[in-house]
Amino acid sequence: MTCEPIAPDQWRLSFTEPEAGFLVNVLARLGKHYQDDVARMPPALRAYWQGTISRGGVADQDDLKESQEVLAEARAELRAERLALVENWMREYELAEERDPWKVEISSAERDEFIAMLNDRRMFLALELGITEEDMEAAPNQIPQEARRVSILEIDVLGHFILVMLGPQIYRP
Amino acid sequence: MSQVESMRGAKILTPKRRGIDAGRDGSPLPSLIFDGRDGTHVPTLAKPGTETSPDIDVEEKLKEAFSRGWSVIVWNDPVNLMDYVVYVFKTVLKMNEKDASRHMWEVHQKGKSVVARETREKSELIIHRLRGFGLNATLEQA
Repeated sequence: MTCEPIAPDQWRLSFTEPEAGFLVNVLARLGKHYQDDVARMPPALRAYWQGTISRGGVADQDDLKESQEVLAEARAELRAERLALVENWMREYELAEERDPWKVEISSAERDEFIAMLNDRRMFLALELGITEEDMEAAPNQIPQEARRVSILEIDVLGHFILVMLGPQIYRP
Repeated sequence: MSQVESMRGAKILTPKRRGIDAGRDGSPLPSLIFDGRDGTHVPTLAKPGTETSPDIDVEEKLKEAFSRGWSVIVWNDPVNLMDYVVYVFKTVLKMNEKDASRHMWEVHQKGKSVVARETREKSELIIHRLRGFGLNATLEQA
């Protein structure tokens, strides 16, 4: 995958065929997740989508309920917006005449949303499987369960996509 | 940030204000005045008439809403990349690179960092945007 600036606030992303295939698979799973009922999700994912407002470390206080509701409402809207975004990307892929490489031109704002959406998938996988810092740092052959190992690889590949789009960010003191 | 995010934020900034919407039954609406003597905006209720007593509950809610006593805390997690967190702080909180990196390291090393202290509404907006980028952010009143 490459990401090159083509004009102020305009970027061209380019994916090889296997990368594009992987990405479309990720988008399909993301689309399904955005449509899933939050109430039926595992607790960690439910908490991720609802957000928390607390006072002195204590949530569920009566006077904070209104803010909590507003936050949960906004999070639900975000899921709907991300679903629309997934559908746009899928449509873009379906309509593409050339898929090796698959090239997409996007604005900076669209790039931001795409990055956030890919990061969603990384977060869902991690929350669903309870992936820890140790898991992320371990070599793949040290992870015995296959589902976990595959998920970590997916998290890593998506992380690579994100880093390609971001370029160097960190100021190291 | 994208236009979509900004528009989404605007919705957060106009939550239902049950305690404040007091004039729909025809009674006079209290008007807001700001006493900035100590350099901060302290909302109080101006009495429209001497016979009208201020609604204490409304006053307390307004004080709470306008005080900058709400902390936005970002927590460490095993998945978000360091560069990504710096990028999010720069994008959402308009931090410069040095501050964004400092807060990122604080999250990484200490487990959390207070990245903003704001009014309740602004904090809610920040939380929403940070979470939209997948960061584990919570809101706490000091």
